[in-house]
Amino acid sequence: MADPLASKLLSQTMTDSTQDSSPLPLTRRQLSLGALAIAGSLATSRYGRAATGKGTAVLAIDADPPTLNLGTTTDFAAGDVSAKILEGLVWLDPQYNPKPALATAWTVSPDGKTYRFSLRPGVKWHDGKDFTSADVKFTLLEVVGKLHPRAAPVFKGLGLEVDTPDAQTVVVRLQKPYAPLLSQMTVFDAPMLPRHLYEGSNIGTNPANQKPVGTGPFRFGEWKRGASIKLVRNDQYWDGDKPFLESIIFQVIPQAANRVPALQTGEIDELLDFYTPKPEVPRILADKNLAARRGVNIPAIYFLMFNTQSPLFSKIEARHAAALAIDRQRLVKQAMNGIARPGAGAFGDGFKWLFNDDVSYAKKYPLDPARAKALFEKAGAKPGGTTLRMPFDVSRAQMRAQSQIIQDNLRQIGIEVKLEPLERSVYYDRVFAKRDYDMMLGSYFSAGDPAIGYTRLYNSYTGTAPNTNASGYSNPKVDDLLARAATATDREARAKLYKELQVILNEDLPTLVLFDEETVDTASKKLSGVFPALDARDQWAGVKRTD
Amino acid sequence: MPSFILRRLLHAIPLLLAVVVLNFLLIAFTPGDPITLLVGDFPAPPEYLDQMRREFGLDQPVWIQLLRYLAKVAQGDFGFSFANQQPVATLILERLGATLELTLTALAFASVMGIVFGVIAARFATRSGRSLVDSAIQGASSAGYAIPDFWLGQLLILVFAIWLGWLPSQGNNPVRGTLPGFDGFVQHLSYLVLPAFALSLRYLTLITRITRAAMLEVMHADFILASRSRGASEWTVVVVHALRNAAAPVLTVIGYNVGFVLAGSALIEAVFAWPGIGRLLYESISKRDYPVMLAILLMVSVTVVIANLVTDIIHRLIDPRIERA
Repeated sequence: MADPLASKLLSQTMTDSTQDSSPLPLTRRQLSLGALAIAGSLATSRYGRAATGKGTAVLAIDADPPTLNLGTTTDFAAGDVSAKILEGLVWLDPQYNPKPALATAWTVSPDGKTYRFSLRPGVKWHDGKDFTSADVKFTLLEVVGKLHPRAAPVFKGLGLEVDTPDAQTVVVRLQKPYAPLLSQMTVFDAPMLPRHLYEGSNIGTNPANQKPVGTGPFRFGEWKRGASIKLVRNDQYWDGDKPFLESIIFQVIPQAANRVPALQTGEIDELLDFYTPKPEVPRILADKNLAARRGVNIPAIYFLMFNTQSPLFSKIEARHAAALAIDRQRLVKQAMNGIARPGAGAFGDGFKWLFNDDVSYAKKYPLDPARAKALFEKAGAKPGGTTLRMPFDVSRAQMRAQSQIIQDNLRQIGIEVKLEPLERSVYYDRVFAKRDYDMMLGSYFSAGDPAIGYTRLYNSYTGTAPNTNASGYSNPKVDDLLARAATATDREARAKLYKELQVILNEDLPTLVLFDEETVDTASKKLSGVFPALDARDQWAGVKRTD
Repeated sequence: MPSFILRRLLHAIPLLLAVVVLNFLLIAFTPGDPITLLVGDFPAPPEYLDQMRREFGLDQPVWIQLLRYLAKVAQGDFGFSFANQQPVATLILERLGATLELTLTALAFASVMGIVFGVIAARFATRSGRSLVDSAIQGASSAGYAIPDFWLGQLLILVFAIWLGWLPSQGNNPVRGTLPGFDGFVQHLSYLVLPAFALSLRYLTLITRITRAAMLEVMHADFILASRSRGASEWTVVVVHALRNAAAPVLTVIGYNVGFVLAGSALIEAVFAWPGIGRLLYESISKRDYPVMLAILLMVSVTVVIANLVTDIIHRLIDPRIERA
């Protein structure tokens, strides 16, 4: 049995409000009316589908998505919208367990190289055509396997092949085992697309990218650019009486500062962590009308990457010195309003099962400015005579706060830091294409597995693509361990490899992990059944509105 | 007059060509790659990036891209937006109405109120040298001119949308659905009030000051003395005789500022989530969406040219001496 999925031990603290499933005190009369309503809906479902859903949920997004074809983008807002229209073969629950979506069951061969999926019978595309294994094959090979920014390189590396013995069965063959394959069969990495609309067309400019046709609980309704995107209930949805909502509207709110007021005044019903300005989080948590899900759901780490080709950081002492000088607790407290956990090691501690406490940052690099100063001098830095350039993406408010704390930490030991807040495209150019920097701030999202999201931080890389390893650090041993950790099918074996990696990486320190991000996803208490999945954007068929 | 209009339009062609070429080159030499911004936050395979560059013609040298672009624009094709994956013309037309509504409302409000305040200030300034009303209007207009409009916008949201809850904070219509008929119109106006005011304040104060100055100059002219000596009331003198003669510089300022209001709407639309082309411009800059940026900049340039032309025509209509000169 393959073990693609990370730990159930992942901490997920919930605020009290989310555990309270009945936020409003109900009278006896309301209860009996509710019972009648439930009985009524059960009766309908026995003989066919309930005629309509009830109510509208308004969800915030930050900008118009570039496309609604999730097979070609990892854009967050695109995922937010399209995850309600499209579906993957599986979805992931908060404990990383794959649950049936378009596949009802699956088996994995003992060598971890063959996956056999049984598809859900009777599923129809929103345009009425049947969903079959041919759609799955087309999507995996022609769209996701070629164009998905996250999945395509992986699928190519695995030499993924797809057979369709019959209309309801899909067999995926890999040339080597790959632990997180199932967690990449979700709507975010492998959304099923209708072959009959895409085959033979230019996939990048196909009109269906703007008006997607899926199998999901909601159909595309209307897109008012710059204002809103409306989805309406799919009355033919395969899952019983679901969906319960009549429509979902995504309101585009470009100014981060306007989103929390919109949530508090009831203009919108849900605000995900991705769109939430961190300084506003305490206000959200204190609001009695809102329910929040707080914790490390899908780990993401914030880091300081060193340019190991630069004069100073080519010396390991300088990298160690930075780790001893930078106050990670203060970063969490001041830059993140406490909504984070201090950096613990090369992969953070979001994935509990792989964390190696023996070589943790806490043990190796406790805050020690005096030792840091000595090490910096040993590496050739002159107090008062060394200035380090630190670029970061100016559009990310947390990065500015972090940069100022780091500047202050290093100034105290005589190292000047020149902050370089750059527009994102300029930042990409300077750091990843030109590697013209001394140290830089960044953050990488794990997407649910260290092999998917964190390998790119440490494996040897000489290209110019953004969001890669731009430190210049290249260690064949590390490359080998990373590759084996991605292909091992047994959790224990993977953990051992990742622990070994931490021994090397926590010492070599091409990148210093500053903290693990915690997330706070919030919804109005008028919505029930929100956030059943690992990814808060997923699984909206079961959400109800009670007004 | 027709030959004047034709001449001015012909003059505009090289100007607009220069605008396009200059903007194109400025954007082309700015660091940043639209394709890397497009693919999201995971490293995309190089073949995919190459394919996208080919598709959008970004693999060609800059001068070929420029010639192709000019040829297309000459045919009325403004290209394809990378970031929105839509033809640029469609994208702009979809959002043009919202911007026109906002900017024209702001400009009309600024013009009317600016002239009213300017006339009142001038009326009181002439009577007794120093006047409280004149000083108050002058002081307020200096302050109003100095306030950055995006900051004012956020302040207005804080006070009227969040603290008082009187007006909506963003958008141009309620997303949950609009009311039918007249109620829907009123509801829509409530969305327009704050952004239109925030956008107009700077121009309102500017027009106030120009009107006041132009009026004061005219008030010393002999024909004013003549009409006063005929026994006309002071308001008749100010509004009927002085204002018409002071109108030329005021109109010039209004016409000259049409382009600024249009450009200024970029920030106001971003602050108030107003779905117009100003915000489209703002977003296209951060996404390096060249075709959209170029088309909007060209559109603003065309608007400025037309606004200046219209200003000149109106000048000639209200003051025939200009034509003869």
